[in-house]
Amino acid sequence: MAVIVILLIASLSIASIFLLAFLWGVRTGQFEDDYAPSARMLFDDKPVSPIIKKKSK
Amino acid sequence: MQVEKFYYDNKIVKAFGYATVIFSIVGMLAGLYASIQIYLPQASMNMAATTFGRVRPLHTNAIIFAFVGNASFAGIYYSLQRLCKARLFSDRLSWIHFWGWQSIIVAAAITLLMGKTTGKEYAELEWPIDIAITLVWVVFGINMFGTIIKRREKHLYVAIWFYIATWVTVAMLHIVNSIEIPVSFMKSYSWYAGVQDALVQWWYGHNAVAFFLTTPVLGLMYYFLPKAANRPVYSYRLSIIHFWALIFIYIWAGPHHLLYTALPDWAQSLGVVFSIMLIAPSWGGMLNGLFTLRGAWDKVKEDPVLKFMVVAITCYGMATFEGPMLSLKSVNAIAHYTDWIIAHVHIGGLGWNGFMAFAILYYMVPKMWGTTLYSNKLATNHFWLGTIGIIVYAVPMYWAGFEQSLMWKSFTPEGQLKFQFLETVTSIKPLYILRSVGGALYLCGAFIMVYNLAKTIRQGVFIPNEAAEAAPLVKENTQKKEYWHRVIERKPVTMLVASLVVVALGGLIEMIPTFLIKENIPTIASVKPYRPLELQGRDIYIREGCYTCHSQMIRPFRDEVARYGEYSKAGEFVYDHPFQWGSKRTGPDLAREGGKYPDSWHYNHMYDPRSMSPGSIMPQYVWLLDNALDTASTPAKIRAMIRLGVPYPAGYDKNANADLIQQENVITESLKKDKIKTPPNAEIIALIAYMQRIGTDIKTESKK
Amino acid sequence: MPLSATCNEVRCYHCGEPCLATVTRLEEKTFCCEGCKMVYSIINEYALCDYYNLNENPGVAQRIKVRKDKFAFLDDASIAAKLVSFRNDEQVHIKFYLPQIHCSSCLYLLENLHRLDRGVISAKVDFTHKEATIVIQAKTTSLRQLAELLARIGYEPYISLNDLNGKRPVYNKRMISQLGVAGFCFGNIMLLSFPEYLGIGVSEQGLKNIFHWISFALSVPVLLYAAIPFYESSWKSLRHRFLNIDAPIALAIIITFSRSAWEVLSGTGAGYFDSMSGIVFFMLAGRVLQDKTYQRLSFERDYTSYFPVAVSVLKKDKEIPTALPGIKVGDTVLIHNDELVPADGILSRGNAYIDYSFVTGESIPVLKETGELVYAGGKQTGGSIEIFVLKEVSQSYLTSLWEKDDTTKTGESKSSFVHLLSRYFTYIIFAIAAGTAFYWYNHDTHKLWPAVTAIFIIACPCALLLSNSFTNGNMLRILGRNHFFLRNAQTIEQIADTTNIVFDKTGTLTSSIEQEIIYEGNPLTAIQTKQVSSLAGCSNHPLSRALAKQFPSKKNMQVLAYKETPGEGIEGFVDNDLVKIGTCCFVCGKTDLRMETAVFISFENDLLGWFRFRNHYRNHIPSLLAELKKEYRLSVLSGDNASEKQTLQKLLGDDADILFNQKPENKLAYIKELQQKGAHVMMIGDGLNDAGALKQSNTGIAVCEQTNNFTPASDAIIEAAQLSRLGAFIRLCRANRKIVMASFGLSILYNLVGLFFAVQGNLSPLIAAILMPSSSLCIFLVTFGSSNLLAKRMHL
Repeated sequence: MAVIVILLIASLSIASIFLLAFLWGVRTGQFEDDYAPSARMLFDDKPVSPIIKKKSK
Repeated sequence: MQVEKFYYDNKIVKAFGYATVIFSIVGMLAGLYASIQIYLPQASMNMAATTFGRVRPLHTNAIIFAFVGNASFAGIYYSLQRLCKARLFSDRLSWIHFWGWQSIIVAAAITLLMGKTTGKEYAELEWPIDIAITLVWVVFGINMFGTIIKRREKHLYVAIWFYIATWVTVAMLHIVNSIEIPVSFMKSYSWYAGVQDALVQWWYGHNAVAFFLTTPVLGLMYYFLPKAANRPVYSYRLSIIHFWALIFIYIWAGPHHLLYTALPDWAQSLGVVFSIMLIAPSWGGMLNGLFTLRGAWDKVKEDPVLKFMVVAITCYGMATFEGPMLSLKSVNAIAHYTDWIIAHVHIGGLGWNGFMAFAILYYMVPKMWGTTLYSNKLATNHFWLGTIGIIVYAVPMYWAGFEQSLMWKSFTPEGQLKFQFLETVTSIKPLYILRSVGGALYLCGAFIMVYNLAKTIRQGVFIPNEAAEAAPLVKENTQKKEYWHRVIERKPVTMLVASLVVVALGGLIEMIPTFLIKENIPTIASVKPYRPLELQGRDIYIREGCYTCHSQMIRPFRDEVARYGEYSKAGEFVYDHPFQWGSKRTGPDLAREGGKYPDSWHYNHMYDPRSMSPGSIMPQYVWLLDNALDTASTPAKIRAMIRLGVPYPAGYDKNANADLIQQENVITESLKKDKIKTPPNAEIIALIAYMQRIGTDIKTESKK
Repeated sequence: MPLSATCNEVRCYHCGEPCLATVTRLEEKTFCCEGCKMVYSIINEYALCDYYNLNENPGVAQRIKVRKDKFAFLDDASIAAKLVSFRNDEQVHIKFYLPQIHCSSCLYLLENLHRLDRGVISAKVDFTHKEATIVIQAKTTSLRQLAELLARIGYEPYISLNDLNGKRPVYNKRMISQLGVAGFCFGNIMLLSFPEYLGIGVSEQGLKNIFHWISFALSVPVLLYAAIPFYESSWKSLRHRFLNIDAPIALAIIITFSRSAWEVLSGTGAGYFDSMSGIVFFMLAGRVLQDKTYQRLSFERDYTSYFPVAVSVLKKDKEIPTALPGIKVGDTVLIHNDELVPADGILSRGNAYIDYSFVTGESIPVLKETGELVYAGGKQTGGSIEIFVLKEVSQSYLTSLWEKDDTTKTGESKSSFVHLLSRYFTYIIFAIAAGTAFYWYNHDTHKLWPAVTAIFIIACPCALLLSNSFTNGNMLRILGRNHFFLRNAQTIEQIADTTNIVFDKTGTLTSSIEQEIIYEGNPLTAIQTKQVSSLAGCSNHPLSRALAKQFPSKKNMQVLAYKETPGEGIEGFVDNDLVKIGTCCFVCGKTDLRMETAVFISFENDLLGWFRFRNHYRNHIPSLLAELKKEYRLSVLSGDNASEKQTLQKLLGDDADILFNQKPENKLAYIKELQQKGAHVMMIGDGLNDAGALKQSNTGIAVCEQTNNFTPASDAIIEAAQLSRLGAFIRLCRANRKIVMASFGLSILYNLVGLFFAVQGNLSPLIAAILMPSSSLCIFLVTFGSSNLLAKRMHL
């Protein structure tokens, strides 16, 4: 079953890539505020213009 | 430095959206057509291109890569821009990505119908297309990471993590699984053989489901569900944990597709363990999705988008619970090779992927055309048609699965098998018909959607570039910090690409020759390489997609041994590039087919199956009788096999065809005895040669 | 603050508070005050009305207007420089603490700040810390304008003296990374060990070796990075000649690693890498859970985080904003309404109504006449006053409470029982190890090392640590859920040991937001009451609002010619009667003799009577004290006079000491005295005057009305409303130890099983790999299960 070694290397490298990503995330405080992002993504970023008064609900 | 005004690219989203709609119809039609052939073999119209064995791969590829693929790209490109508060990295790349992907799909459709296939499920496409996929995927990657780098929002929303995971993992899977050695343009042999090939294939196969059909769609869920419901996701922390858990566990669940096969036990159990673990993160995601709507069920009542999402997420939950259950050996013993699996995947496909895609379309189209949905009523009807369709599809299939499996396993008091294989098939035919009805209903729903979206588009005005404004990412406090900040920011990207390439190439090139070849030294002395004619026959077997209905893997169960013969050993497959174990038994297993019937039986059976076994649902393969075998390719094929370590004598490729012709004549002779006249170079001869060879080597050993 | 919501009253569209007296309207929306209306009109003007669509009345009441040049000090370069986190010639970065942040609307409005002021480049809200990091263009917008903009939209930044020496608690990223690394390695090592346990064939030896080597490689980061916290703390403890629990654990980790490494190198076995990495991972997880403190609360607050950054000093009739440290003796400082007296001094102009709630918990303002001494820490309510500074800020009476910090309380040296336990545990292990070593030395020397190392591998007190950290973590969670916030897990044990409980009276036993109002004099008719409340409703003075609240009326009467004399009173014509409410001299000329807070009322200039304000005991206090006095010795220390003695004596029982006229130092001394008698003291107080005592006591618990109000430095913060459940909290903390013991006992069983194999020198990795996780799992279940169950039973 030597082929499993190949799969191992593949999977491990994937995993370690994600580990790096995770560490980067922690380092740059990606996971610090666990409420704001989920609310922030709801807001529209339409440019200000007098036409837009209220959002159509 | 001011608040920047910029524009979201809706054109590319529109393009992918259209593609999604088109291919959803195409893929479903193909599926419906294939499903009809199962109880109405005449429907194949005796043409190679329209026969089940070629239509079914078309169906799976169209749904997975064309329908869900395009839907994901549309959703990703829509949400990624808005989550990053930035236009896509490069319009040109976007369009290369789009046209690249579409041409791949078209090429796939054509080649598959022409019978150009590697014979590995969900990875049927031949090597030139594999390369094309790799390139387009890289383009997609550059575009995505480019957008992430130039984003105006510091925080990467959880959806983006899912997109990244999708890209990285699929890239790796695709490369590892598609290592094959070209014989000619549009023909190649998998580098791995037999058990190894099986393991790689299902490691890939399962992760394809995980990272092509699940993670991107989960990402989409985390974006479109809160948006549609206009309330933040139930628990953002849970969503992050959900992501990291899923990523680290998914990759190892693959082997559960090979339980009771010749795969070593420990590898099988490994698959089981990890599959069970998967329940936790999967359900974490599902609950997070459903709880997001707690207290907003009134919204669900009126908003079709949410309706679709609720059912989609529920189906996700069902499928991800059923999956681990199916990976339990005892359950798997019953379910494997039956229609239960078909039901399982369609819960995921129709429910999770399909409904999610529809929901996203219903959400994006009105937004991008600056209008509201033409008719909520029609959308709701679509929803109900679809839901009923799923039920009418799934229930009969579960039923069929149980029934057939039980019939297979039942013995008479005398210890004889109670049912012929054919009986088990005919008894579930009605259920097959019901399945088509379910599919048809689902398809009707899709048509309604097409109409509804068309109307919506007509009543609105397309906004090709949607204006938005946001402040640019501000520099960190000090110059030094700023510098580091940027470096760290780019790090994952460079790391991703770099280590991906390094490992994928470096690692494999290191490993493959050393291990695989060495491993393929036969463990069973009597197992010999295929003779050239048999090899050619095998390629026909692959070309016609026989593996879509016939397994070549007898599991060590009493009934299977009684029905098919000695159970399969790992050592028997060392020369099988690619393996042809199959995953479904619409027809009987063929692992010990060799020598069971006279050549003439096979000849007639191929010409008209029902003449040999009345009531059979196998299509006719009339063209095999007329087509002349292309012997020109033989030397190349032999050479390729030698390169893969198959021990043909040196220079055998030169005189391979001599041996081929000699074997042809033997078979034509034996046919002549049964009053069948046929040109010796007919493809059927090669196929018969292969059929008569399958699983015989080990018999010769037992004779000794 | 929650108002007594009487039925069908009009609620403010902005802040949702009932519109008491004045109802102002705009686009058929009602507002409780001009302030709220202002905010609405601004938001509306800039098309940011999603602010109101996202949540119902998301605003915060704006009744107290922000003084015009309150933020003038931000123009002072030297002050500004200390506040900004980064500045160059085009950009300025500053982080403001905005206590008003509470919902997604806040998020929306603040992050769209750039729409309100083009000078703003970006604003990012950190929701958990209620902070906003704002970047502005130095040229277009000044800090002052920014602060004023924020104030205008209802998010007045809270800038305190503390920000000058800006020290903020940093969130522990390192341990999270370590957890991640440990988790990653653990997962993959586990994967690689499974084949072994699932019976990989002998035929595949080559594969096995590869697995071993990869596990080896993967466990290196665990050893060298993830496990660092354990090395550090054990090293620290050893330097203090004291064996804490981490020492044996660090030892075990190292032994496990080297033994396993040796096995792999010599090709004799798989090693115990999975067990090792697993344990490290679980222990880290426990740590993270336990150290997850409440970031939005600060237990470290001292007076600086309450004092303003700057006050305006009068220099030849010019107001010059001056940083607080810069105030000299002899300066004259100008204190406006709602501002804090920064330094002790003499009231040189104006009438002061000083609210000392922050110092004593006594919220009812006391009147100070010109020439009287005023202490730092009081808050002026009413008009502006001038104060001639006698002592520098750091020297003043109040701050000196901090400076003479002669308390001898150090978190570390107070060692948890866990450490003691682990010490015995360790001795026993060493004994067993020695015994085994001796045995094998005589019988079979080959088995000596395997046996001994195996003992350390299997019997490291990690189980103890796990059960401890998980139980504590869960406890903190449960208590936090009930608005009782502990500074750290150590506090749980401290609370459990309590023998004496000492209460501060004012602001702790009594509420500082609601008062009893007693009317004396000729009885008022219904109409008159109505007139009084209508008039009172027009004013924002705390006493007036209290009055208005006392006699709420559906429909308020017209008030004509309303006039408010700061620090004196209010007057106006309510249906044709001239009504006056205010100080004695304001209402009827002569000064009041009784030095008790009272508000006098007159109709048509003849005195009708007066309202006396007394603080009133929080609800449930009697029942709480009744409950507590059964188990603990109670005492009350109060800063004010003995008028309440009998009431209290009744509540606390005769044996309780109740001391009055206690100066802060007296309180502190009293605690010390108790402790010398060997008592384990819990002090519950609120004001700065309790700060010393809170510090000295074994557990100092600060009471506050809202968690982001000021609290003196303490071990725990409790929301006033939860005070009644103190008894339950203490009992829960007591149970904590039992739970730890129980789960530990349980895991001991596992250890024994392991030891059984270990001493014989044949502990297979499989056994280890089964024992370790299963015992950890048990611990999870026991600790979480029992603590939650308990909490449920106590209705927490």
